[in-house]
Amino acid sequence: MTTDALARPVRVRTAPLRRISSQSGLNTAAGHLLMVLLSIFCLFPVYWMLVSSFRPANAMFETSLWPTQGSLENYTTAIDAIPIARMLLNTLVFSAVSTVFQLLTGILAAFAFARWKFPFDKLVYTGVALTWLVPFQVVMIPNYLLVAHMGLLDSILALILPNIAAALAIMLLAQAMRGFPKEVIEAARMDGASNWRILWEVLVPNLRGTIASLAILIFISTWNEYFWPLLLSRTAENSVIQIGIQMFMTAEGNAWGPLMAASTLASLPVLVIYVVLQRQVVQSFMKSGIR
Amino acid sequence: MFRTTIIASLLALSTAVPVLAQTMAPSIDTPVTIRFYNYNLATAGLGAEATQKLINEFMAENPNVTVEGVGYSSADSSRIQADLAAGQAVDVVQTVFSDLDFSVNNFGAQALEDIAPAAEITAHLEGMHPNGTKLGVLNGKTYGLAYTFSTPVLFYNADLFRAAGLDPDSPPKTWADIKTAALAIEDKTDAEGFTGGITGPGAVDWLLQGVVRSNNGEVISRDRKTLKFAEPEAVEAVAMLRDLYDAGVYENYDFAGAVDGMASGHLGMYLQTSALQGSLVAGAKDNYELRSAAMPQFGDRPTRPNNSGSALTIHTTDPLKQRAAWELMKFLTSEHGYTIITSEIGYLPLRPSIVEDERYLKAWVAEHPLVAPNLEQLDRLEPWDPMPGPNYRQIGKTMMDAVEMSIFGGADVAATLADAQANAQALMP
Amino acid sequence: MAIAIATPARLRRKSHARWSPWLYLAPALITLLVWIYWPLVDAARLSFYQWNMLPNSPQTFVGWENYQRIFALPKFWQALRNTGVYILGLLPLAVLIPLAIAIYTHDLPERSRNIYRAIIFVPMIIAPVVAAAVWRWLLDPGYGLANQAIKGLGFDPVKFLSDPDTAIWTVIVITGWKLMGFSTLILSAANANINPTLIEAARMDGAGKWEIIRDVRLPLLSSTVLFLVVMTILLGAQWSFTYINVLTGGGPLGATTNIYYLLWDFGFSTMSVGWGSASAVILFLGFGVIAFVLFRLIDRYSFHDN
Repeated sequence: MTTDALARPVRVRTAPLRRISSQSGLNTAAGHLLMVLLSIFCLFPVYWMLVSSFRPANAMFETSLWPTQGSLENYTTAIDAIPIARMLLNTLVFSAVSTVFQLLTGILAAFAFARWKFPFDKLVYTGVALTWLVPFQVVMIPNYLLVAHMGLLDSILALILPNIAAALAIMLLAQAMRGFPKEVIEAARMDGASNWRILWEVLVPNLRGTIASLAILIFISTWNEYFWPLLLSRTAENSVIQIGIQMFMTAEGNAWGPLMAASTLASLPVLVIYVVLQRQVVQSFMKSGIR
Repeated sequence: MFRTTIIASLLALSTAVPVLAQTMAPSIDTPVTIRFYNYNLATAGLGAEATQKLINEFMAENPNVTVEGVGYSSADSSRIQADLAAGQAVDVVQTVFSDLDFSVNNFGAQALEDIAPAAEITAHLEGMHPNGTKLGVLNGKTYGLAYTFSTPVLFYNADLFRAAGLDPDSPPKTWADIKTAALAIEDKTDAEGFTGGITGPGAVDWLLQGVVRSNNGEVISRDRKTLKFAEPEAVEAVAMLRDLYDAGVYENYDFAGAVDGMASGHLGMYLQTSALQGSLVAGAKDNYELRSAAMPQFGDRPTRPNNSGSALTIHTTDPLKQRAAWELMKFLTSEHGYTIITSEIGYLPLRPSIVEDERYLKAWVAEHPLVAPNLEQLDRLEPWDPMPGPNYRQIGKTMMDAVEMSIFGGADVAATLADAQANAQALMP
Repeated sequence: MAIAIATPARLRRKSHARWSPWLYLAPALITLLVWIYWPLVDAARLSFYQWNMLPNSPQTFVGWENYQRIFALPKFWQALRNTGVYILGLLPLAVLIPLAIAIYTHDLPERSRNIYRAIIFVPMIIAPVVAAAVWRWLLDPGYGLANQAIKGLGFDPVKFLSDPDTAIWTVIVITGWKLMGFSTLILSAANANINPTLIEAARMDGAGKWEIIRDVRLPLLSSTVLFLVVMTILLGAQWSFTYINVLTGGGPLGATTNIYYLLWDFGFSTMSVGWGSASAVILFLGFGVIAFVLFRLIDRYSFHDN
């Protein structure tokens, strides 16, 4: 059936398309309306964060849609109070390295699950999935002791080590690999390709879309990680941005303005990375579409 | 139990240094580094700046001592626990009063009487308010010296008072006055009448202890062996709060909503630690007139407020480090230290005389009238008793859950508290 | 299919196959064993002890006491019930709506598709504490914009976070707001992975837009959808943790406490290794059983797919 469809010339398509489009004009409008409402729901709080970051402390609870006495005071306060550039850099290194490692270990492990049937495979897979369920607070102090024994306290490396592998990457990739057409793998194998080559030259390029979206997700969840860095970093210079943001919440009250400013600054790099990787996602889809 | 605690702590100590009175070195002859665990340092703001400033001044005066400040989160002390477990040195700690018992029995906080020469202690405590030095006393020994602490004050919005036809110059004195004033505010304005930081996750039990004591009850017996929050006086105090809620004037805010509600001018009266003064002032500036009054009393009985905040505790067993830690402690709780703590972080001076002293706080207090009720309450200050034993946090939570159910949840006050007290008593050591 | 391949090659691969999966698995498994399972096994032992984790203090054996105390917590069953509410409430936000968005935006022109998906993704990049604070401002009964609109329409202000009946739904919606982008991204990727020739073939056979979605897209997306459903069921309680912690602290009156928050509150945040370990074991075993059942169901279900 698949080959049938491919063999047919494109010209047949024009007639049904026109029929559908006249009737779906209303549908499209309704769809766009829903999407716009949803977009407002998604964006408005973010907009509010941005606006609040320009409000002075005594105007923090104003309800005007635009700051009436906008100032950059919160930004200067935030930049003075915490080494924000250094923290962003630390977070970038932490997130980027963790993402690369999680993808690497994830790709290898997923391939094992997707490619072979082996003794205890179901059990091991479940074991991987169950690591999701282990509350971080339980492993936190034992991990801290391990890192301390390694002499790695207050270092970015110590932040990264427990994040070298994660269940989400393994499971999502295993699922994508299982869904990959077996005929293609079989064909590569007939050509004499080793497993290693099949993985890196057939599977990985074709799963770029999944890998790129996974990279985005891992990057962001690492970016937002809080508890582990909180325990580990003792100086602001070796800390990550989430710690920096929370530093404006104190027992003597919360400094909302600088907090919003710091958070706005912290969001920008992630947004850029999303846009860049998203383009990568789209392009790889286009490629796979052409295939 | 008491005896086993002593034996356990003796055993714990005997591994390091023999337990003798006044173990610390007489002076600091060689360079020494001590680590100071401080929760203000984990924040960005005035608290951190002032703390670092004090530490730097101390190091300038004591060139042989290096103080390494380590920030930790006051909400959970897992950093301290983890560092002790990892064999890292924990020498001086800014300990929240409710954690004091745990800190003594588990984190090895040392009694000053055991490590410092008696004459030095007496000399240093000279000039401190006797009510203040009692705050860190546990089982008859001074384990902590009050550091950043404050008392409950009634913040109120003078503009809302005027709008409600109330006189902002005579703020409510009793709980009955609170009810009247709050009713007027609810009635005549869009704002909420009253709320207190009594319940809620961040509150622990410090404010409750003072409210219950002010009705001549207590939540835990003075020897900290028996819970008493289901006794009639405590039940009566909680029932009074319940009555405020039933009358529609005690607003049950979400967790952090109350501070923002007060700061934004949408709340008439707010009973809370004076430590929040700074952020409330920032919100009130150019918006409304913020004032403060003493904690409300029951009828004509004087209030018995207690403190919130932290004490300094010494944990090191090394004689030289003990000396350095003690010198740091003395510096931070000196006239100068409390001047910085009061004027720059927003807590109370434990040395009342500096308030009158030109060299220290006189000018500042004149400019900041909001601190007055706070100072006045020092004379009636009682300790914030920490819950005992390894399950102390669970005991506190069980009690506070029941109090919240009693005030806001429509539950039968006496029965709910009695039930919780039985549950919590089972967790006592 | 594999049977068709020549015998010697098959034999060689077989002996290979015995250890090669383990080689591929090794980096991931070693990491998970060292950083997660090893402490977890230790926690299982420590859940029978009372200890403060300090090397020089004794571990006191207390038997099942830690477990008994957790099950005796007055809020335990309320928290369990709330956990169910969280999961049910999150499923539409974490699965259904993202599925609709992924399918709908897929057929849009590239530009508007990217814009919509980017917008839906934006909440994910905001720090959780900040998201919580901003939402609280917007929803405040006094100065919140949402309530000013409600008052403007002539209704009474809604106490979104302090009314025990409403608060849990507020937390669910905020959690979902943060989560939608995540699911949309995963589902969009899966949707785009669908071979376009299949869609084309169905269209040639005269299938309409809805029929294509029903007969081609949804079946092919089913394993991803199931994956997200499983994730929501297993992790829903954890996802809402930050928002509960910052916004309600489990209140009012325990109305927003779920099992994860309760165990955190009484177990992990208290420096008592016994309570924390017992909490972890309860969570692990409880959700582990659910996970096992779900994976069995998926196994059976996805068999049809191949």
